[in-house]
Amino acid sequence: MNSAAEVSSPPRDAQSFRRRLIGFIAVGEVGVLAAMALLVAFFWLLEPAFLSERNIRAILNVVSFVGIIAIGQTILLVAGEFDLSVGSVAGLSAVVAGKLMTAAALPVTAAILGGIGVGALIGLLNGLIVVRLGIPAFIQTLGMLFIGQGLIQVVTGGYPVYPLPDAINDIGGTDLVFGLGWSFAFFIIAAIIADFVLRRTVLGRNMYATGGNKEVAHLVGINTNAYKIGAFITVGALSAIAGMFVMADLGSGGTSIGSGWELTVIAGVVVGGVSLFGGAGTVAGGVVGILLLKIVQSGLVVIGVNSNWQQIAVGVIMVMAVGLDIVRRRYFIAGA
Amino acid sequence: MSDITRQTLFSATAIVKNFGGVQALRGVDFDVIPGEIHALLGQNGAGKSTLVKILNGVHPAGSHTGTIQLDGQSVSFASPADARSSGVGYVPQEIEVLEQLSVAENVFAGRTGLGAGMLVYQRKLEQRAGEIFADLGIDINPRAYVASLTSAQRHLVMIARAIVMKPRVLMLDEPTASLSGTEVDALFSVLRRLKAQGVAMIYITHRLPEVLAICDRATVLRDGQVAVRIAREDFDAETFIFSMSGQRLQRLFPEHAAPVGTPTALDVRHLTVAGHSGAVHGANDISLSVAAGEIVGLAGLLGSGRSEILHGIYGRVPAEGAIRVNGQSVAVRSPADARAAGIALLTEDRKRDGLLFNLPVGANITIGNLAPLSRHGMVRGWLERSSILAAMRALNVKASSPQAAVTHLSGGNQQKLLFARVLMRAPKVLLLDEPTKGVDAATRHEIYRLVVELAEKGVALLIVASELEELIGLCDRCLVVADGRIVDEFNRGEGGEDRVLRSVTSAQAERHAMAAQASS
Ligand SMILES: Nc1ncnc2c1ncn2[C@@H]1O[C@H](COP(=O)(O)OP(=O)(O)OP(=O)(O)O)[C@@H](O)[C@H]1O
Ligand SMILES: [Mg+2]
Repeated sequence: MNSAAEVSSPPRDAQSFRRRLIGFIAVGEVGVLAAMALLVAFFWLLEPAFLSERNIRAILNVVSFVGIIAIGQTILLVAGEFDLSVGSVAGLSAVVAGKLMTAAALPVTAAILGGIGVGALIGLLNGLIVVRLGIPAFIQTLGMLFIGQGLIQVVTGGYPVYPLPDAINDIGGTDLVFGLGWSFAFFIIAAIIADFVLRRTVLGRNMYATGGNKEVAHLVGINTNAYKIGAFITVGALSAIAGMFVMADLGSGGTSIGSGWELTVIAGVVVGGVSLFGGAGTVAGGVVGILLLKIVQSGLVVIGVNSNWQQIAVGVIMVMAVGLDIVRRRYFIAGA
Repeated sequence: MSDITRQTLFSATAIVKNFGGVQALRGVDFDVIPGEIHALLGQNGAGKSTLVKILNGVHPAGSHTGTIQLDGQSVSFASPADARSSGVGYVPQEIEVLEQLSVAENVFAGRTGLGAGMLVYQRKLEQRAGEIFADLGIDINPRAYVASLTSAQRHLVMIARAIVMKPRVLMLDEPTASLSGTEVDALFSVLRRLKAQGVAMIYITHRLPEVLAICDRATVLRDGQVAVRIAREDFDAETFIFSMSGQRLQRLFPEHAAPVGTPTALDVRHLTVAGHSGAVHGANDISLSVAAGEIVGLAGLLGSGRSEILHGIYGRVPAEGAIRVNGQSVAVRSPADARAAGIALLTEDRKRDGLLFNLPVGANITIGNLAPLSRHGMVRGWLERSSILAAMRALNVKASSPQAAVTHLSGGNQQKLLFARVLMRAPKVLLLDEPTKGVDAATRHEIYRLVVELAEKGVALLIVASELEELIGLCDRCLVVADGRIVDEFNRGEGGEDRVLRSVTSAQAERHAMAAQASS
């Protein structure tokens, strides 16, 4: 009867151990980390070059770009929405920033802020339309994906923005540690901050409540619309930043920056235990999920699997991850 | 008694069910005979729902030990559909309806043979559903969408769904928890008819007068075991309570005198809330006030607009009118505004409007209350944990830990959890919509004590409860609501259940007379 007494007495029998084990695995990150370790061992056994310095660096470099977006996407999924336009936004923001610093001859800092502004503005637009007009996020952001692609062509006329100012090439070329540059540093720092915010702050808790049951969150006084719109803006801004890092890395504002990322990002974070149904998952999980996905892709290349099969593998992994998500939800929510 | 065993229709023997480390049932025997209503009683978390879920295949065969027999034959149900096809009907404790479908479609969900092949005759469904509702004495349009119904009405839809199956065994898990007197009476007359037809029924409730009214035998569960079986001759509310909890209650309602001369805490003028889809009345030009330390009840029938008044005050639905809290005029446009003004609301439907299933027990209590538990926007872990533990202890929330999943709590404990959430807010005005829904007798008593304690601390309370006895016993003053208007008002001691019913009936008669006049 006394809850305090029950709390302090840990259940000991084998059954409860099993239950705790299941609970532990049900926590996204642990299962994914274990799967990742297995995959790494698998690829390494088949082809030791998988763990070569060059390959590791290549994987981490790619992860740093999509990972930045995955942080935003995780936050948005937790708030109960999602965004398919992230790739387009990344590309559009990059070429807009590129044009601002070349054709418009603005200072680099101003141009970068302009690029972030474009991303944030699109996020705001997505958020307002989804929240205020009640258009499903799927439709709105799918529409925005096409709009963004069209605008990229409009802005660039179909040609990459090139050459870029030296300052930008310097950002892309800097080697901070282990051949990894500013984008990786930004990714890690942003991930740590975002993970902390979701886990430990009032803002984060309210975000989970909003994604878990909007009506309940509203009733306890949370401004759910503001949280959702804020999350859309965050994804937009982070996508813009990721796009500009790619531009700096390439030394050119290519028109294909970000294309196809939306699905990679969503697949990755879902693999990492972020729920498509809202209200569950962590940034750490989402980031590890992206890493796992990229490890699989890279591993398949290294061991020489045909690229068609790589796509098939990504598809299979994603469906399995969503299946796991549904099972996990049933474990928590069924039997009420 | 020997002929009882001979006729047993449905029985369970030595049922053991574990949820991980929690032993929900430890060797329970249970049986029903045709034409019997067998009450299943016990405190929150005693294992009542778990037992009927096993008997109904919600917890499928294999997830527990023990045997189940129907008509002397061993059966093992893999799913509720399985049980249904063997003639075992079930009304779950929590509302499970298909919101996007009509009432008629919900009533016949999962049924076949009503149309030609794959086609469903919509008209026929609606007509049949209408007949069943007429039987149950309730006024729900079979074409209405379930999304527009109140939780009590949803519950009635679930009951109708179980009854149309023409089951041989019917299990009802707290079917009346959100119903008020008249609806309960109508349900009882249906149950009596089923009983005459020889249906065997298992009836779970925390409302002991209902057991006295309609049940033939009672089995009391305590901590997953049968504590005692009581024959009808020995029925007595006090015995029930004692065998459930091991405690004797002195008095059902704690003493509380209406405060004298305290300032008005909540003042509502001309509150008007739109109703929805004909099934529910809105609030129509409601004016009321509650003094600090006063307990005021809103009595009325299902759909009379009681909850809508609370929702309007709390800013959950758009409302017109003026609201003052402690003399200060407040503009309540959203629940956030209401909370800022010191108003808190306990909602009726825990599953839809109360619990956050994605967060554990502890976070469910502190959600919306995190400001004092945080610094610079960061939640202070130890402070949160200790206040959660204190809240759980104060309300006796039975959960394995603050980290436990909310789904694993029994219904009554979920209710206590939500109570803990609104109390953590330290409100000046507390709006309670069915505060004891699904709560056992002993805890109910605790909640009454809590309500009186809050009143003594100067909190103004406005309560909606379907059980009139409870409302009248607890409140200093009762307002009777009918068709979205306040039609009568009386102080403690000035009236009882009969007065409420009389005011409601005369208000309705008046309305009909007026309608007739208008149309002539
Ligand atoms: N799915 C589940 N997972 C884990 N524990 C559970 C689950 N369902 C029930 N329990 C536990 O089993 C016990 C019995 O629960 P049950 O729901 O049967 O109680 P009850 O008698 O119906 O109570 P109430 O009157 O509150 O509805 C409780 O301790 C509860 O926490
Ligand atoms: Mg129950």
